[in-house]
Amino acid sequence: MILKGRVWVIYVKELVDILRDRRTLIAMIVVPVLLYPLLMLGSVQAVSMQESSLREEIVVVIATSNAGQKAFLDMLIASDREALKREADATSNGEPDDEERPQPLNADVRIANPDMDMLAMVRAREIHVGVELLNYDTIHPDVGQLRVRRHFDSEEVRSSLAARWLVEMLNRCSQRERERRCLLFNIPVRAVEPIVIESVVTSTGGSILSQILPLILVLMTITGAIYPAIDLTAGERERGTLETLMVCPVPVIQLVVGKFMVVTTIAIMGAVLNLASISATVFFGGFESMLAGSQDVSLPFAVFPIILLALVPFAIFFSAVMIAVCSYAHTFKEAQNYITPIILVALVPAGLAVLPTSKLAGPMLVMPVANMVLLTKELLLGASESQIVGGNVTWTALAWVLASTTLYAAAAVAVATKIFGTESVIFSDTGSIRSAFSRRLFRPSPRPSVSMAALVAALLFPAWFYLQSGLGTAAPDDMIALLRGTAIWMPVFFVVLPLLVLLYWRVGVVTTWRLGTGRLKFYIAALLLGLTAWIPLSELLLLQEKLVAFPEFLHEQDAKLLEALKTISPGLAVLLLAVIPGICEELFFRGFFLSGLRGSVGKWTAIVLSACVFAVFHISFFRIPTTVVLGIVLGVLCWQARSIWPAVLCHVVHNGFAVLRPGMPRLDEFLGVHPDKPLAHLPIGVILLGIAAVLLGLMLCRRPSADAEKPQAVNL
Amino acid sequence: MDMIVTENLTKVFAMPDGSDKRAVNGLSCTVKRGHVYGLLGPNGAGKTTTLRLLSGLMAPTAGRAMVAGHDVSADPDAAKRVIGFLTANTGLYHRLSAREFLAYFAELHQINGRAATARVAHLIDWLDMGSFADLRCGTLSTGQRQRVNIARALVGDPPVLIMDEPTLGLDVLSNRVILDFIRRERDEGKTVLLCTHYLDEAESMCDRIGLLHNGKLVAEGTLEELRAQVGQERLSTIFLKVVGAETPGAEGSR
Repeated sequence: MILKGRVWVIYVKELVDILRDRRTLIAMIVVPVLLYPLLMLGSVQAVSMQESSLREEIVVVIATSNAGQKAFLDMLIASDREALKREADATSNGEPDDEERPQPLNADVRIANPDMDMLAMVRAREIHVGVELLNYDTIHPDVGQLRVRRHFDSEEVRSSLAARWLVEMLNRCSQRERERRCLLFNIPVRAVEPIVIESVVTSTGGSILSQILPLILVLMTITGAIYPAIDLTAGERERGTLETLMVCPVPVIQLVVGKFMVVTTIAIMGAVLNLASISATVFFGGFESMLAGSQDVSLPFAVFPIILLALVPFAIFFSAVMIAVCSYAHTFKEAQNYITPIILVALVPAGLAVLPTSKLAGPMLVMPVANMVLLTKELLLGASESQIVGGNVTWTALAWVLASTTLYAAAAVAVATKIFGTESVIFSDTGSIRSAFSRRLFRPSPRPSVSMAALVAALLFPAWFYLQSGLGTAAPDDMIALLRGTAIWMPVFFVVLPLLVLLYWRVGVVTTWRLGTGRLKFYIAALLLGLTAWIPLSELLLLQEKLVAFPEFLHEQDAKLLEALKTISPGLAVLLLAVIPGICEELFFRGFFLSGLRGSVGKWTAIVLSACVFAVFHISFFRIPTTVVLGIVLGVLCWQARSIWPAVLCHVVHNGFAVLRPGMPRLDEFLGVHPDKPLAHLPIGVILLGIAAVLLGLMLCRRPSADAEKPQAVNL
Repeated sequence: MDMIVTENLTKVFAMPDGSDKRAVNGLSCTVKRGHVYGLLGPNGAGKTTTLRLLSGLMAPTAGRAMVAGHDVSADPDAAKRVIGFLTANTGLYHRLSAREFLAYFAELHQINGRAATARVAHLIDWLDMGSFADLRCGTLSTGQRQRVNIARALVGDPPVLIMDEPTLGLDVLSNRVILDFIRRERDEGKTVLLCTHYLDEAESMCDRIGLLHNGKLVAEGTLEELRAQVGQERLSTIFLKVVGAETPGAEGSR
């Protein structure tokens, strides 16, 4: 629909316009194409300079497993040194020293602590390289093949250099031994290689590639959005075309969406070009081993599509942020000044994410920018060193990153629309920006705007997420403390803060929260749905478990919660888990948020969107499908009844029933459910009854169609 | 039929020092179909804000504006559809050619495909822009740009034209082209709201004239009515007298 309409017209025009600008092309194509080869050439130079200076000072510390092996290694190193000296004397004959001549290995061979893993010693920086001569005890001195295993850290410069020098030394020894055997047995040179080497690599923080690439990619995606964002907003104002555009009969939202689609497109095109340039440089330039730190690692091209997928909402998010910020600027220069702090602010979480200790878990999952950098980093890590570090990007983590970034993106788009359409932003000569914030100039409105709803939700979400993880870590085993904390903070987050926003912006509280009472039949429907909705929902949960198995810790958590609930009175349990969440969540999700969507999008879009946000706020990825369904039921109730109270009743009854059910063994008996197996199918009769009851409840919610088409008429 | 009606139209801005500025203050006026209405006033009188309120670019703080029967604040898109808006602030896209520029605005007015091409070709022909229609707008002269801009305002064939200083900075020749065009439009039954500082232009073009000062309409009527009201012959002296004498007591002259 949108693609055939004016948004598409705007998109095409703006894209043509921006691509005709030479500056865009330079920023988008020339910079990445030149940047990576230069960057990598530069670091190759730096590494080789570092290498020659390190060779002077490093004494390679090698550990072997016993005295016999130590003696053998010492012998190899000494003979290599002598051989090199002989070769040098034989070839140089007074000529100036050739720099390319191989250098002897300066090694201090030790016997390893038998209790300690060699890799652990490498990681602890006790040794540079660990060496195991795997078949040293059984090998035949003249025909055998010695298998050498080296352990080193690809991140640590000294360790990886030492490992390389060791290989060079061993290869020279192998070569000489082969020549010796050829003479000895008079056989061709293509005989068995006397020494073969295998590697065990550790890595303290991922390869250089996986550390730097995510940061560069994320920054380039952000910077790619800068130029078009400025050009399409402040630039448009500076050239006087903004007013021309605004007098057209086009809703502001379409203008903003069209524009920010262009910015996003450019940002994503930039990201693709950057990825392509990196790949091409590494692939054709032969930098793979240098970047990855060891020879047996290749660039993980397979994860690039996932990275690109995650970059889409990220690019949308930043494009919208930039459009919002640049909309305030009157000129190109002013916009550039506004952008700089944004980039700096974005660098803080990005820098956090690059730290070797950062993991894609906990609060990092929803931290803007940081989650994107970490996701890219761990995807590259996981693919490049799976056998050692383990790729630890789960689908859950990916979903969290995508969901939170999408939520932020939606809010940023909503806010950008709001700002873009603001008069004091379009016209620089109409008083100060204060007009947009002066409360006395606000016209009272019956309900919040979409942008207000989206912004409040996007700001509350990370705060709520951090609060939950904070409460969880404060008392990891005390479920009751967690419940109490949640119950105390819930009214603040979901009632008081939105209320303050409503009051400041002169939005009607009664009409937003739908505090009117509504008709009796909706309360009957609410009671019915509250008592029976769990039946189809628990079946849905079972179906879901068949498709995606629940992780064990979720079952443990449920069991822990049940145990904890036995220690408090049922009344308190109902208060903490049913009454307070029922009221607070309804006032926010069906009151504030759904009212914000009402009037801007269609009924079902509004209900489903609010249900999705409701589910995301529950911070349990595996319960999202059931929570969405419950949210839809509650949304329908509230929408049809034009009152919040039936939804509150339904929510309280639904939660309260879930809390009290373990204390009602008779009911389980009656329903034919095993109390030991909470996740077992209900008897078919109960399921059918439950579905019938839910359908009946939803039927009760129907309104005559003529009545339902005038939502504005009924605000109470 | 009244094409433009304002009732107690008011716009208040918050100033940086915290005070309020009433840019438009209780403006009530009416423009009939087929008339050219001249809105005159010194700099800062509130003309531009009035035009922006009429065209739905701004929402009034109080009062309302109706254009061709559409309430501008309630349904700004419908109002924008019936208005061709041309001001000194309406710029062109420098990297598009005049033809592309017009085609873009035709599509924004939901004129698509062949109809859009035909409409654009018609406007190019009508305003005699053939010689520069395929050049990029950034390379055009002031007069050429103004013609492109007028074509842009006309692309949706609106019944109401709102023009702010359409002849500003133009040479005599381009000036003539544009004034002739306005007369032609009026003769075809279009309603024109014209803001200008060239008083002789207003004298010769306008059916009715409103004098705006400090956001208020201080005098209104046909040229003859104004002459009778103020007792002066020339519009420039009328203007000076009304604006210069504008004291708190002058409100009575409405």
